[in-house]
Amino acid sequence: MRIAAARRWLVGLLLLLTACSATPGDSTSPSASTYIQNKGSDTIVNLALAWAEAYQKVKPEVRISVTGGGSGTGLTALISGTVDIANASRKIKTEEIKAAEANGIEPVEHVIARDAIAVIVNPQNPIGELSLEQISRIYRGEVTNWSELGGEDRPIVRLSRETNSGTHVYFLEEVIRLGDKDNKEIFSADTLLLPSSEGIISEVSENPNAIGYDGLGYVTDHVKMVAVARTADQPYVLPSVESVNSGQYPISRDLYMYARGDAPQIVLDYLAWILSPAAQQIVTDLGFVPILSTTAGK
Amino acid sequence: MSVKISVQNLTLMYSDGVESLHDVSIDIIANAVNVLFGPSGGGKSTLLRALNRLNDLADVETARGQVILNGQNILDPATDVIELRRKVGMVFSRPAPLPLSVYENVIYGLRLMGERSKTVLDERVEHSLRQAVLWDEVYDRLNDPGTSLSGGQQQRLCIARVLALEPEVIMLDEPTSALDPVSTAKIEGMLNELKERLTIILVPHNVQQAARTADYAGFFLQGRLVEYAPEKGLFLKPREKETQDYVTGRFG
Amino acid sequence: METAKSERWITWIVKISGYSSILFVSLILFFLVREGLPALGDVPLKDLFGVRWYPIEGYFGIWPLIFGSVLVTVGALLIGIPFGIGTAVYLSELAPAWIKNVLKPIIEILAGLPSVVLGFLGIQLAAPFFRQFLNLPTGLTAFTGAVLLGFIAIPTIVSISEDALNTVPSGYRQGALALGANHWQTIWGVTVPAARSGLLTAVMLGVGRAIGETMAVMMVTGNAPVLPRSLNALFLPARTMTATIASEMGEVATGSEHYHVLFFIGMVLFGISLAVNLTASSLALRSRKRAERLLS
Repeated sequence: MRIAAARRWLVGLLLLLTACSATPGDSTSPSASTYIQNKGSDTIVNLALAWAEAYQKVKPEVRISVTGGGSGTGLTALISGTVDIANASRKIKTEEIKAAEANGIEPVEHVIARDAIAVIVNPQNPIGELSLEQISRIYRGEVTNWSELGGEDRPIVRLSRETNSGTHVYFLEEVIRLGDKDNKEIFSADTLLLPSSEGIISEVSENPNAIGYDGLGYVTDHVKMVAVARTADQPYVLPSVESVNSGQYPISRDLYMYARGDAPQIVLDYLAWILSPAAQQIVTDLGFVPILSTTAGK
Repeated sequence: MSVKISVQNLTLMYSDGVESLHDVSIDIIANAVNVLFGPSGGGKSTLLRALNRLNDLADVETARGQVILNGQNILDPATDVIELRRKVGMVFSRPAPLPLSVYENVIYGLRLMGERSKTVLDERVEHSLRQAVLWDEVYDRLNDPGTSLSGGQQQRLCIARVLALEPEVIMLDEPTSALDPVSTAKIEGMLNELKERLTIILVPHNVQQAARTADYAGFFLQGRLVEYAPEKGLFLKPREKETQDYVTGRFG
Repeated sequence: METAKSERWITWIVKISGYSSILFVSLILFFLVREGLPALGDVPLKDLFGVRWYPIEGYFGIWPLIFGSVLVTVGALLIGIPFGIGTAVYLSELAPAWIKNVLKPIIEILAGLPSVVLGFLGIQLAAPFFRQFLNLPTGLTAFTGAVLLGFIAIPTIVSISEDALNTVPSGYRQGALALGANHWQTIWGVTVPAARSGLLTAVMLGVGRAIGETMAVMMVTGNAPVLPRSLNALFLPARTMTATIASEMGEVATGSEHYHVLFFIGMVLFGISLAVNLTASSLALRSRKRAERLLS
């Protein structure tokens, strides 16, 4: 979904670039222009684009160009001073900070939204808590019956989004492989790959054998969210805007924008606007976890 | 001269109330060619279909009257229709062999009766095809599709498949209307021989054929039987003016 | 003179439209092969016909997808043919006029129902029902897909079969009845066999409608690329080739390994439907030749 948006967006970018090169001076010194160059994570590109569009209505004179390419690409561009804002779905690395400082740039982190993935089961399912390890074993096909986890004697039906979904990849890397980069485990072959989040909710709400995962924004009352613990000896936490914001819920990640410390006012205005209720509403609309403006920006 | 079928005061009606046959009484004479003729729409086909109860499937109802065959009223709802149709065979104007081989076409009715014996079937196929004057033309292609025969052969095949059931009566509804003169002559000749063994009811497709073949003839006009007589009487000296006009070609 | 000229024009227009459809099909084939064939170079044949499909980690085994498609399609035929032809026989031979007048338009409306709607009904009603009724782990199975596809094919099969049955000369029916056949013997022994080439066409068009259907299948089969091990697989999730192409093509990078493999699947699908169509038309041709011989 997000990648698709990125590609759709690339076409838009080309148009903007043409407009851009027609106005001399813009690309050489972004800080002096009414353009904001925004580049980075493919996960965020959809959200960033939605913001950029909405911001056109707030400040028509400011034009924002958004590109994907990955978090690393965005941060590299920020370090070399070619963009105003880098989008990243991970924290900036120490080496990157050092490289930036060497260029006389001080990167400032802005948490702009959070991405929580709820693990869901049928309301009839007595299982209410799972550790990441257990979820991983379920999806790897090592656990095939709920009774092995202390539940009823029912086969486990695993539901996932299609492989093209960013959520699918995140779940693969952070849950199934438990964040271990050298781990090459994948989804059990009999995992049902459903084309939509709604499809997962619908099947889980109806089928007591099912387990699924979905962005928090998609979860309805017809399914039961499972409290998740990082490891079995840590607390089991239900996903919520609060537990995501406090960092307790393990299957969530912050989404960032990085800008230089001496960024021009229009960039700071834009970043401030992103934390406004109107902009955070877009976060909710796109299925991410909004952040409270009081806790943001630290 | 004995009566095979006695139709008594038969009135048939379409479901919309229009009469198809009006108070028809006619005796079908055994071992003879009984010709029913007259302009189309006169009710001849409807009468034939009453005799084997094919009308059951059309929207024709019996309003009055009865049809006696072997002492029983075949219009009685209790009549075994399947049994009746085996006794009173019918040949239609357009030859329509079933989409089966020549052999299977002939024994179709027998198979439905449950006949399995290969000897009986073989024997019956040859016998029926010989009676229908077709054997010499098809004995070496019994396994070809029935529809691969010529039109005249197809019609004789349809006659053979009726004969295979050894019926007591065979009704032919304009059987030669789609055929050439040679085929027509063959069928007319065959009928002349068949009447030795069974009763024939023929609706001819023109007056000439009626005159050529009839032992007894009935003239039908607009659902009524105008006149009924032995052949010579009716064609040479019709009693009714309508019959005379039709026979001499003044209308029709 | 004028007439000859305009006739030449019309001939040309007709010719061009005829040739252009050939051209389009060839172009599609050419594009399919050009984009699909490199897959053989990208992925070793052994891996391409492997048993695991997980493209984002480089597993490109297409067997589960081929079997998934076959399973769902054959299942759809097993459901669609008897129901479709049975309904057509009922409508054409048995139903009273008023039932026919009600049923026929309903079936025709059914034919126009968007498959997404059927897919939605499949998720909401059929899948839960089959899960409970057949006591399955999940209702999102090849069988559910097959039932749905069967339903998508049925209106087409009914409509065309009924026309085929109606064109059977009434002489066949009357002839059989006059020989002492009862209603059922006439239908199964005479009318249906006489209409068989039309019935075959009906089935093929129904199959065509079912094979090409993607959306509904994608919604209800569960899309798990599992290689079937037994007939039991009909009641387990399956992933079809069409669903795979539909869900993955939109997101894949042009020219990548994955992209070429998806086109290769398209080639396989094209090959299969070509084979089915050739078989069907040769069957239809054979029965038509017979019919021509009969008519001469």
